[in-house]
Amino acid sequence: MPANTYDAIVVGSGMTGGWAAKELGEKGLNTLVLEAGRSIDPAKDYCEHVPAWGVKFRGLTDRRQELKTQPIQRTCYACDEWAAKFFVNDLENPYTTPPDKPFSYIRGRHVGGRSIMWGRQTYRWSDLDFEANAREGIGVDWPIRYADIAPWYDYVEEFAGISGQAEGLPQLPDGRFLPAMQMNCAELAVKNAIAKHWPGERMMTIGRCAVLTRPHKGRMACHYCGACHRGCMSRAYFSSLNATLPAALATNKVTLRPYSIVHGLDYDDSTRRVTGVRVIDTQTRQTTEYRAKVIFLCASTLESARILLLSSTPQFPNGLANSSGELGHNLMDHVTGSGASGMMPGYEDKIDVGDRPNGIYIPRFRNVKTKSQFLRGYGYQGGAGRSDWERGVSLAGFGAEFKRSMKNPGPWYFDMGSFSECLPVHNNYVELDRSRTDAWGVPVLKINCAYGPNEKMLLQDAAIAAAEMLAAAGARDIQTFVEADAPGLAIHEMGTARMGHDPKTSVLNAHNQAHDIKNLFVTDGACMASSSCVNPSITYMALTARACHYAVEQMKRGEI
Amino acid sequence: MKRRDALKLIAGAAAVPALYSHDLFALGREIHQQLGSTAALKTLNPHQNATVIAISEMIIPATDTPGAKAARVNEFIDLILTDWCMGEDCQRFLQGLEETNERSRKMFGREFVNCSAQQQTQLLTALDEELTELREASGEEREHASPAVQETETPVQRNFFYMMKRLTLIGYYTSEIGWTQELGRPPVHMGPYQACVPLTEPGKTNAS
Repeated sequence: MPANTYDAIVVGSGMTGGWAAKELGEKGLNTLVLEAGRSIDPAKDYCEHVPAWGVKFRGLTDRRQELKTQPIQRTCYACDEWAAKFFVNDLENPYTTPPDKPFSYIRGRHVGGRSIMWGRQTYRWSDLDFEANAREGIGVDWPIRYADIAPWYDYVEEFAGISGQAEGLPQLPDGRFLPAMQMNCAELAVKNAIAKHWPGERMMTIGRCAVLTRPHKGRMACHYCGACHRGCMSRAYFSSLNATLPAALATNKVTLRPYSIVHGLDYDDSTRRVTGVRVIDTQTRQTTEYRAKVIFLCASTLESARILLLSSTPQFPNGLANSSGELGHNLMDHVTGSGASGMMPGYEDKIDVGDRPNGIYIPRFRNVKTKSQFLRGYGYQGGAGRSDWERGVSLAGFGAEFKRSMKNPGPWYFDMGSFSECLPVHNNYVELDRSRTDAWGVPVLKINCAYGPNEKMLLQDAAIAAAEMLAAAGARDIQTFVEADAPGLAIHEMGTARMGHDPKTSVLNAHNQAHDIKNLFVTDGACMASSSCVNPSITYMALTARACHYAVEQMKRGEI
Repeated sequence: MKRRDALKLIAGAAAVPALYSHDLFALGREIHQQLGSTAALKTLNPHQNATVIAISEMIIPATDTPGAKAARVNEFIDLILTDWCMGEDCQRFLQGLEETNERSRKMFGREFVNCSAQQQTQLLTALDEELTELREASGEEREHASPAVQETETPVQRNFFYMMKRLTLIGYYTSEIGWTQELGRPPVHMGPYQACVPLTEPGKTNAS
């Protein structure tokens, strides 16, 4: 094979790139994985076991530095003093927004991408989600249904290892679960109260998460140190770096090239195929081209859109594979920022031991059996814990007696925050902002995104319903919070290259294949035609594996 | 989970699986030693430092376990004042130290550090009560939020004794002494998650 030529190129090494690399490599394709950021060496970079006294500011973060170089990233809960190195430098990776439409774009650019810092919550979609657009006449109909993706959920869950409790809910299908983690006593009290007050309507289950509760496929079980987003030497949680990339590299078919920014695709109009990618080496700043028979964009929702927008040609003046005009549009995120918290009286003589890297989940109950004045719904994540010595900051007293009282934990608190579904809207979109470039000279994105009336109704309703449930559980000092986070902060951005039946109104077909270009696939969050209210990563993984198998079959048949 | 995770941040989840993390532990030790060796303070002068040591040790005294002084809370506070505080926070803190000494001179005719233990307790009790009054007057909620989120927007947050106590607690309980000796916890949890176990002796359950 000529130099720089492969069977397949995968752009991105994160949540979906890792899956594409593994699946294509295992099918025998010579595959090049291009990662824009640096390498991560777990032995050196993972830091989940460094105690607070092992970092300079004891967990308060290097605030002055972060305000300079990570003013946006630092707003993410996981960008702490240990893990800040897994988040991009905002000065090197700018983007723009209209002044009245803030967007929090939280990113990791390194091998593994955001799969290193993700929240690990893992929920299947149901037909309630896949049919919603068609039922309500919103956006475009999904070209797939649950039956199309179910075997692929099985497939990726089996490999990734998902812990959870089967509940038999139609709106939240069960998966192939490893043993569930346990709820603590305050959580059990809330669970029981919800079951008692809203039988058949609301319920609470333990979070379903991509953390191993027993050894699985060469990876160790979780030992509950708690700080997953700083890495995991046990490889107990799923990330591409912990699981799919090692499997991909073990095939000896996959080459991983970090420090490689893809800033454009090459397109041959005579064959109507993409022929390769243009890469900037971030260390040498030289540009190189790589060629392949098939290209998978797994660069993340916004980066994949950006690459296609940067790749316009005379035939595709508004972005490659964009005959529909929908490329960059229909951007969604989950609406967060509403919920409630309260103090749970009792259980003073009980404590939980270990840092469970998981919380509780209250699945969607709005517009499932009943009908609300808004469309779609929301789920809650949260959990209970006892306050610790931090409470002393707001208590009176000092001295030996005060010190002794801090040794015992304080009361139990229960916090729950909602994740609401966001509707796909054409006017929420990204475009190139050619007035600005990033540190490598590539034009940046302008992100135009704001929530509409339906999202605001969901946000309000979720705060009230959260308070109701805490009240039913006997909580005291219940406080609601209802202030929408800026879009982006849920880090579930999706849309921008949606799947659909019709090439005139969608970018990708039912197999994540570009309607316009047969050998181009986009399998990250860009492909989503709606957002559901559940965390999306496992759906991206399942769609990626499914698309890879489809692409390989098509190649065998000579269709690609 | 965001709010809880923010809490965890300062609770300092951490541990060392013997299998892997010799290097990681070494890193922690190394940084600790570096901190230890920088005994030269950058912001606090010797008099201010002596006052900080005295007050922090009164907030968290040595008992059957070491206190704030042994945990070198003063060095942590100096670091925060030097490399972390923004705007007028550092100046406000230093001014608070000076005002404390002024009150001490007025009440007892000498600097705070030269007062008797009883006099020091009397003054600190006054500061603590004033903070409580301020809290009640301003209607500020008792937060159980993470003190890692440092804001200095409210009267309470600008109060000297609030700042002093907050930094003392963070400096102490995130130190190896505070975490392992006082709270009796392992540097990192290594084992199963036990969802609901009896809390017997203070601090002992988590040390299991």
